[in-house]
Amino acid sequence: MIEPLTYAVVGLATVLFVLSVYYAVRDRLVDDKVLLLVALLELGLIAQLVLGLVGLGEIENSTERATFVAYLVSLPVIPVGTALLTIKEKTVWAMGALAVGAFAVAVMTARLQQIWNLNG
Amino acid sequence: MADRRALGGPGVVLVVVYGVLALAATGRSLLQITSDFSAAPLAYTLSAVAAAVYVLATWCLARGGRWVRVGIVACAVELVGVLVVGAASFIVPEAFPDKTVWSHFGQGYGFVPLVLPVLGLWWFRRVDRGVVPQPAESDSAR
Repeated sequence: MIEPLTYAVVGLATVLFVLSVYYAVRDRLVDDKVLLLVALLELGLIAQLVLGLVGLGEIENSTERATFVAYLVSLPVIPVGTALLTIKEKTVWAMGALAVGAFAVAVMTARLQQIWNLNG
Repeated sequence: MADRRALGGPGVVLVVVYGVLALAATGRSLLQITSDFSAAPLAYTLSAVAAAVYVLATWCLARGGRWVRVGIVACAVELVGVLVVGAASFIVPEAFPDKTVWSHFGQGYGFVPLVLPVLGLWWFRRVDRGVVPQPAESDSAR
């Protein structure tokens, strides 16, 4: 795992979270700008998945490793899943859902780095 | 295009929260069971049960219709689970050498597992009472 990537992913997720909340408050629906952010975040998460799987052997504790892999694999599913839901949902709640997804990505990525730092 | 999304509005946010939790719980429990089940059989079995219930609840939320009733049961099971396992993990910690989603009332997941079933029940009941309009099942929606 490389820390700059973690920072980039957490940063992107945070921006997406803030933007989604802003959109929700302004009663705006998802647009290309938001989807571009989602796509960037997704790329970061896929890169993180590959790097994480490559460096997996460095985590000694099997339980921690299990949590690490679970998060690593789950993460890329979230932006795609929330984006799909969001495109279909034509109410202000759609942006709320996207915000929740972005928040989850930020928290889970931070947790991922935490596990890595403790055990890597 | 037929609208298969039965629960609009706040339901879509709940689907995401449930989906994330279902993913995290399923992934973790699969790996726990396949890597070293004997280390904490009770905790790992409970993790798997919890994961299955979250997946079911996510499905019910996303589909709505007749799944609403199933969702109510799933949320009730979650609420009982998090309360019983949460209390048990404090009273008999030796029975839980490894954590489950429900340990310490879901502390490891920011207490989301404690709050979520309550929100889920509230939402399902709203839908069940017809407060939220949804496509009728007998309707030729598809």
